[in-house]
Parts: sequence; structure tokens; C-alpha cells
Amino acid sequence: MNFEKLLHIDRKVIFVLMGVAIVIPLVFPFRLPVGEQPPTRGLFDTIDRIDPAKQALMVSTDWTPQTEAENQPMTVALIRHGLARKLRVVVISFYNESIPMANQAVMQVVEEYNSQAKNEAEKVVYGRDVVLLGWVPPPIVPILGMGQSITGVYKVDYYGAGTDTLPIMKGLGSYDDIGLVCAVSGGSSPQWFLQFAQPRYGVKIAAAVTAVSAPDLYAYIESGQLSGMLGGMKGAAEYENLIEEKYHVGGRQRAMEGMGPQSIGHLLIMALVIMGNVGYFVARRKAS
Amino acid sequence: MRVKLPLGLMIFFGILGFTDSFVPHPWAQNFHGVLRNKVLIVISVFALALGIGNLISHHVTRIKRKGPNWIHSYTTLISLGIATLIGIMGGVTGNGWLPTRVGGFKYDIQTIYFKVLVPLQSTMFALLAFFMASAAYRSFRARNLLAGLLLGSAFVVMLGQVPIGELLTGFLPPGFHAADISTWIMQVPNTASKRAIELGLTLGVLGTMLKILTGIERSWLGGGR
Repeated sequence: MNFEKLLHIDRKVIFVLMGVAIVIPLVFPFRLPVGEQPPTRGLFDTIDRIDPAKQALMVSTDWTPQTEAENQPMTVALIRHGLARKLRVVVISFYNESIPMANQAVMQVVEEYNSQAKNEAEKVVYGRDVVLLGWVPPPIVPILGMGQSITGVYKVDYYGAGTDTLPIMKGLGSYDDIGLVCAVSGGSSPQWFLQFAQPRYGVKIAAAVTAVSAPDLYAYIESGQLSGMLGGMKGAAEYENLIEEKYHVGGRQRAMEGMGPQSIGHLLIMALVIMGNVGYFVARRKAS
Repeated sequence: MRVKLPLGLMIFFGILGFTDSFVPHPWAQNFHGVLRNKVLIVISVFALALGIGNLISHHVTRIKRKGPNWIHSYTTLISLGIATLIGIMGGVTGNGWLPTRVGGFKYDIQTIYFKVLVPLQSTMFALLAFFMASAAYRSFRARNLLAGLLLGSAFVVMLGQVPIGELLTGFLPPGFHAADISTWIMQVPNTASKRAIELGLTLGVLGTMLKILTGIERSWLGGGR
């Protein structure tokens, strides 16, 4: 066999192979065991330890449609977890581009809960249990301002209702009333919270970031500044699995669905790299 | 005056910017609150106007000079104009005075966002999978020991990032599974190098900030003249 041919696979062939590797697991889905990494467990346990009577969960949705595949399941899973624990869930955003998608995530989870509710008490009410506060630029304004007054920064919610009139905001004055801020991000918003909000107001911070951003944040987990982290779609899938196991919350698990295509995609890339290296070594031996 | 006034303003507001961290007096805190919650928001609005102005100016110039791919500048300008018009006059969800519906066809800004912007941006990002596969195949070669180590680490991290890695390495003793080794790589060598980079960067930022605040570094005023 002429192994040197492995050095010259046409890129159109690679594109077709990658397309097939992604599409087939999407059309014929299969479930894989996802396990859990320590940062994922850290985030889950931190939210589980928040006292619903005293503090709320804040989810900062700082991502754009580019990273929807990774960040959207994280956002949905975090809201699900907060509501499963009967925590008040406050959603904000530092990018105006992410606001409609954050709204979509909030409404999806509200509908999920309400479609499964057996009585009125189990229903989730927007404005009482969960709220989308919207977008106030630039990020430094809400990050520091919420240390003094959340309603002072966000005077109206996404739908234009005065935050002073919303039942969810009663008793939610500042970061003191927030058990955890989880920044769902495709960029560096977790670092902004770590840089400005945590040293000054002592608020707990966690991150849910894309796989490429995750390596930047391990240093903050090791130092204890981040209470937990979801890294990429795998982190989101682990989190969906943890919520499902403990709270049996229904609803679509998009990150779990993505594990099949991502697994096969990674295997294909590894196989291509191995083939390229086999061709390279055979060619080098022949040349010498 | 062109140098002294902006320099003076920068030094004044630059020092005010961090005094509230060291001065707990209510006057300092309140003043900083006004700066942050009022002045900064107003300045951001100016930045937005400046950004749009620059975008228009750049593309108009490119069309005038028939620069590379100048025809695409029309797409940017027309899209900007239409989206701004619909957004301002049609309302976010089509509740403005400009009609944003023809029969069952909606074109309010929310619909444009979900039906045009979201798929376009997602598609652009998804294409990375194809280009990365091709680039990895062409460039990942174990030419020497260091390249081999990089390749080995990449393999382990890639396996650790997907559940199938657990299936493939599940027969190994605990602590040697792909996910375990991947986590170790992230927590130890990766963290060590990231800390070194971050410390260096932060010291550099602090140094530059001090140079700007003390007026030593003036290139932001226009080439240091």
C-alpha cells in the first residue's frame, strides 16, 4: 500500500467526511454516558447550597448566536436547575445581541415547567419566579452598580415593567441577595465579574463558557475564585445529566443530543491526524 | 490646548476612576456612582454613534475608490440602512408605525434577528468544524519531541472533551481515563502557563496605565506629537 497517498487527501473529501460524521449521529441519535468533571460538580453543588428563602440565582447570558450550540443549553440548564430548587432566577445580559435568545431560553423553561405542573402551586410565573432584566451598557455599569442596587441599575425588565413592581425583586437589593452569579459566555464576561464584582462585593461567581474559553478559567477554579464551571458542550451535557438525575426535570437536552456528533467529529479529526502522520513518517523514511 | 486639555481630562477622570476603591467617604462613592451610572452611559452612546459613522465612512470610501471586494460594501450599507429603518420605525416586534408584515411574511427586527442573523452567525461558526478538520490534518505533524508532546496532549484533551473518550479508555485504571488525564492537563500545565501569561499581561497593563496616567505615554493623543 502506498502510505504516502495519506499525505494528500483532498480537502473536499475531508469536508464530505466531516459532514457525514456530523449529520449521521444527528439523524440517528444515540446516547452516550457523559460522567462529570470536578468543575461541573462544583457549579451544581454551589447552586444546590443556595438557600431559596434568602438568596437568588443570577444568570448572565453574555453570548451571541455564534456560540448558541454551546451556550444555549447551558443557559436553559441553569434556569431549569434554579427553578427546580425553587430559587428566584434573575437573568441579565451584557450584549444586546443575546437578549432575544435569553428571552427564548427563559420562556422555554417556563413553558416546560408549566406544561408539567400538576397544580397552580407548581407553576412558574414570570416576574415572580424568574425575570429577564435585559441589557444595560456598558458592562462595568451593571457589574459595579448591582453591588449597591439591582433595581437602581435595571429600572425596567425586558418587557418594560418597572422592576420595583415585580414580586421577584422584593428583597433582592444587591449582590448580598444573590447566592451565585453564573456568567454564560462565549467571551470574557466571567473575568469581568471576577475582576470588579467579587473583590469589592464578595459575590460568588461561576462560569459556563465555550470549550475554547475554558482553559483560560482553570486558574480561577484552582484559586477558588470561581465556584464552578461548565466547559463547552460536554460541560453542558454533564450538567443536564446531573439535573435530570437529581430533579427529574423534563425538557429537551440539546447538549446531550450534541454529544454524538461531537464525539464522531472528534474521532474523525483524530483519525485524519493519525493518517497524516503515518504518511509523513513513511515519506520521511523513504527520503532518508 | 489640543494636547493639554485632553491630557488634563484624562488624568483627572483616570484618577477619579479608582479613588472610590480607596476612599470610602460617601462623597467619593456617590460621585463615582454618578460617573459610572450616568456619564459612562452617555459616553457609550457617543461611542455607538462614532462606530456607525466610522463604518459608513469606511465603506463609502471603499466604494468610491473601488477597493478590493468593494461591491460587498453595498451589502453592508444597504443592510445597515434597512435594519435601522425597520428597527426605529417598525418597533422591535412590529409594533411601530411602519408596517412590518405582508400577509404571512413578517420582517420586523425580531424576525430578522431570528431568521437571518442567528442562522448566519451560527453557520459561520459551524463552518469552523470543517476548516479545523482540514487544518489539523495538514498541520499536526509529530516532527520532533515538542510537536509530539503537543499532538499527544491534543489527542487526550480531544478525547476527554467527548463521552466516547470515556468508552474508549474506560478499561484503564481510574485516574488514567481520557477525561482524568485531560482534567489534569487543564488543571496543572495549562493553569501554570496561563498564570504566568496573566501575571505578565497584568504587570504590562499596570505599567502602561501608569505611563498614560502620568502623561509619559501620549501616543493616544495622536502619534506622540
